[in-house]
Amino acid sequence: MLTCDDYLTPGSLDEAFDMMASHRGRHRVIAGATDTLPWAREGRAGDVHVPALIDVAKIPDLREISVGDRRVRLGAATPIQRFLDHSALARALPAMPRCAVWFADDQIRAQATIGGNIVNASPAADATPCLIAHEAEVELARLTGGKIARRRMRLDQFVTGPNRTALAEGELLVAIECDALPGFGGSFEKVGHRRSLVISLVCLAALLKLDNAGRKIEDVRLALAGIGPKPVRLAGPEAFLRAGPLSAARLEQAADMPTSLVASRTRQEYRREVVRGFMLRGLINAARRAGADAAVLSLELEAAYA
Amino acid sequence: MPDLEFKATINGRKISRAARPHQRLLDFIRDDLNLTGNKEGCGAGECGSCSVFVDGALMKSCLLPVAKAQNTTIETVEALAKTGELSALQKAFHKTGASQCGYCIPGMVMAATAALRANPFADREEIKERLGGNICRCTGYQKIFDAVELARDVQNGTLPTSALLEDEVEQGDFIGKNVRRIDTPSKVSGRLKYAGDMTMPGMLHVQVLRSPHAHARVVSIDTSAAEMMEGVEGVITSVDVPGEDGFGVFVNDQPIMARGKVRYVGEAVAAVAAEDPLSARRALSAIKVVYEVLPAVFDPDEAMRPGAPVLHDYAPDNLTKHIPIRVGDVDKGFAESDLVVEETYATQAIEHAYLEPEAGLAYVDHDGVVTIVSPDQNVTHHRHMLARIIAKPISKVRFIMSPVGGGFGGKEDMIYQGMLALLAMKTYRPVRLVFTREESIISTAKRHPSRTVLRMGLTREGHIRALQMKMICDGGAYGLSTEGVMRKAAILAAGPYVIPNVRVDTFGIYTNNTPSGAFRSFGALQTAFATESHLDICAERLGLDPFHIRRINAMRDGAVTHTKARLGSVSLMRALDALEKSSGWESGAPTSRGCTRGDLNREDIRPPCALGARFAAAGKQEAAE
Repeated sequence: MLTCDDYLTPGSLDEAFDMMASHRGRHRVIAGATDTLPWAREGRAGDVHVPALIDVAKIPDLREISVGDRRVRLGAATPIQRFLDHSALARALPAMPRCAVWFADDQIRAQATIGGNIVNASPAADATPCLIAHEAEVELARLTGGKIARRRMRLDQFVTGPNRTALAEGELLVAIECDALPGFGGSFEKVGHRRSLVISLVCLAALLKLDNAGRKIEDVRLALAGIGPKPVRLAGPEAFLRAGPLSAARLEQAADMPTSLVASRTRQEYRREVVRGFMLRGLINAARRAGADAAVLSLELEAAYA
Repeated sequence: MPDLEFKATINGRKISRAARPHQRLLDFIRDDLNLTGNKEGCGAGECGSCSVFVDGALMKSCLLPVAKAQNTTIETVEALAKTGELSALQKAFHKTGASQCGYCIPGMVMAATAALRANPFADREEIKERLGGNICRCTGYQKIFDAVELARDVQNGTLPTSALLEDEVEQGDFIGKNVRRIDTPSKVSGRLKYAGDMTMPGMLHVQVLRSPHAHARVVSIDTSAAEMMEGVEGVITSVDVPGEDGFGVFVNDQPIMARGKVRYVGEAVAAVAAEDPLSARRALSAIKVVYEVLPAVFDPDEAMRPGAPVLHDYAPDNLTKHIPIRVGDVDKGFAESDLVVEETYATQAIEHAYLEPEAGLAYVDHDGVVTIVSPDQNVTHHRHMLARIIAKPISKVRFIMSPVGGGFGGKEDMIYQGMLALLAMKTYRPVRLVFTREESIISTAKRHPSRTVLRMGLTREGHIRALQMKMICDGGAYGLSTEGVMRKAAILAAGPYVIPNVRVDTFGIYTNNTPSGAFRSFGALQTAFATESHLDICAERLGLDPFHIRRINAMRDGAVTHTKARLGSVSLMRALDALEKSSGWESGAPTSRGCTRGDLNREDIRPPCALGARFAAAGKQEAAE
C-alpha cells in the first residue's frame, strides 16, 4: 500500500522544482503512476510511505506535442494513447501506433506517460526501442542557482541498464525529441504471455523507407528490446539493408544478424528464434506499409512470417 | 496527514469532500461515496473490474490516486442507466447470458461501453482488442463479445430493439432453450452486493499478520504494542480461540491462526480489527512474533522419506491420505499384453484466480448469534465446525452465503471466517476483512500438483489388459480437501474404459507448500491427464488411431466401473463422435500424417492472437470516405 503525507500537483516546472527542493530527499516524482501503485504492494516493495508524492503529469509544458518536418517534440507527460489518437503524431512516428496498441491496454494507455516508460527503464519497455529507432534525445532539466538548466542526451545513452538511467538527483525528464519519419512504413512486433497487459519477452521496432517503385530500401531503422539489460539499436542490419534492393533473400540475411545480441537472463535460445522471426515479420510489415512492390516479397515469406 | 479537498462531478452530481492524499480513486468511490458497483479484483491494473470513465476516458481506478481525478467528470457503472433501468449494452449482457459470478461484469460493461463509444461499428476482433484490459474467469468471453455485438447492432439500427428481449419460450419448455438468468440485471448494473461491498454501522476493518516462514516454531507473540495503538479495537491470536481449535474438510488439522508453529508462508498468525484498514495494517507491524525456523520440506517424494521434517504430530510419515484400488491381477494383465508402456506425468499447482478475492463481514447480533457473511461454498459444514471452535451451541452460530464472485472450489475452506468470528466476539462490533489479490494467492488452496507413474499393458489390437498407476500429490501444509481429491482421482484414474486389471494408488502428502484443496474436477484432471496422454502414446506405438483405441475400450451403457458403480448410460461414444467431427480429425495413427496436416488453419479455427484490428477498421473507413 502506498501512503503519503502530501500529494502535490505542481502547475508549472518552476513550481515542481520548488516542491522538489522543499521536500528534498523525502519525495518521489510520479507521472502516470500506473507502475507506482502496483510497485507499492506485497511481493514488490510492500507498504511504502513517501512523505511527498509530486505528480508532474498535469504540468502544461510536459504535455505539449509539436510535430515538425524533421523533428517531433513530445512533452514527457504525453499519455501513450496520444500515439493512437493524434493523427499528425501517428504519421510522423509510423511505428508508434503499432507499439501503442500492444502497450498495456486502452485504459492504462490513457494514464501512462511516455516519460514514465523511459525513466522506469525496464529492459522490456515497449516505447523505448521505438524512440531509439527514431534517434530520440531526452531533454533533462534541473534547478541551479534559481534558474532552470537544461541538458540533452541521446536516449540510448540515457538508459544505462535495468531500471537505471542517467537522470541526476533533482533532475526531471521534461521532453523527448526524435526524428519525424513520415512516409516510412512502421511495425512493432511483440511477444508475451497474453495479448493485453503483457510484458514483452521480445519486442522489435522497424521503420522502412522505400524508393518510389517500392523496390529499393532508402532508409531503415531497427531496435530491439527484451533481449538484454537495455534496448539496442541494430546498426549492423541497418547498414546492410540500407541502399540495397528489397528482396526476400536480403531480408533473410539481415534477420540472422541480430540473433547474437541476445543476452537475456533466461530463455536465450527461444529469444534468438523470436528475434529472427520478428526481423522478417517486422521488415515485411514495415515494407508493405511503406508501399513495397507486391511482387518483391515472395508470397511464401509473407505467409510464413506476416 | 492533511486531507485534500477533492472536487469532481461524479455521475452527474458535483461533490466536494475531504479525501486522504494517498487514497486511490477506487477507494474514494467505494468507501466514501458508497458506489460499490465497480469492484476491486487485483489492485494492480490487471483485471479491469474497477474501470471508470474520467473525463470520458476509461481508466482503472485502482491505479489512480484520487488527486489525479481532481476537477474531473467521473462516471461509474451506476451512471450507465437510471436506477431500475438498463442500458442497451446491459440488456444485451442479460440477453446473451454474459454474466456468471458477475464480479468482473461491471468492469466489462464499462469497457464495452468505452469500445462502442470509441467505434460504434467495431467488429468482433476490435471489440476483443478494446476489452483486452478486462479479465473474466467464469463467463468465458464469447457471450460477452456476443452481447457487445448485439448491442452494437441494436444501437446502429441493424437489429430491432426487440432483439434485446428474451426469446419466447413455450410454457414450461426450457430444456435446450436460451433462458435469461434472473440475477443478471443486478450484476450488469453493479447493484449486487458482494461481501466486500457490504458495510454496517460501526464496522471495523480487519488485517491479518501472515507467516514469512514455511516451517517455524512460534516461540512467542507479543501483541501489547499493537493493542495500544490508536484506532485498534481488537487483536487476536490462537490463544483467543475458546473452543476446540481446528478446521478442515476431512481432517480438522488447521487452526484458525497458527498454534505453536507455522507450516507455510502466508499462514495466518494474528489478526487486528481497527477503525480503518490503514490503522489495522500499521498495527500488524507492531506485533512482535519470535520464530524458531525449522527445516522445511517442499517436495512430496522427499516428505515421504524417513527422516523428513514432520509437519503434523498425528501424521509422522506426512501422509494425508492414501487411496488404493485393486481390480483383478495386474501382473497377469501385463503378462497377457503385447505392449507395456510406462511413463511419468506431472501437473503443477494452479490458482483458482476467481475475480473476487476472499471477503467477509461478521457481527454478533442482538441475541448473541455470531453471524458470518462471506462467499463461502460450504456454509453448513463451516457452521458446525465454527460452533465447536468458538464453543457455542449451533443455534448461536449463523453463516450467510454472500454472492460468490467465482469459487471453483477455492472458497470451500473456512480459511478466514474463524478470525472474523473471534474479532466480532472480542470487539462486539461488526468486522470486515477483504483480502488483497496477493493475500488470496498466498494463503488459499491451490490445485494439487501431481506426479504420476502410469504403466499400461495392451494387446496388439489396442485392448487394454492392465493399468497400474501411482500418483503422488503435494497436499501442502494442511489437509483441506486432499482426502476427497485423492479419492476422486483414484476412482476416475482408469478413465471410462473397460480394463480387467487395475491397480491404482493415490497419495496426498503433507509438505510446507501452500495447502492444496478443491478445484474444479477435484482430482480427475491430474489422473485424466496421465491416462489420456498415455492412450495417445500407446496408440502411436501400436499404429492405431487415437479415437479408435478409445472406442474399442470404451465403457457402454450398463458398464460397471472399477469401483463397482453400475452406469445406466454412458455418453462416451457420442462425445467421441462429436469431438472427432468438430475437430476435423484426420483418421489414422498420430504418426501417419508426416509433417502435413489438413485439420489446422481452417476458417473456424481462430488464428494466433494479433493486435491492430482498429487499424484495419480505420483503413476501411478511410477507403469509404
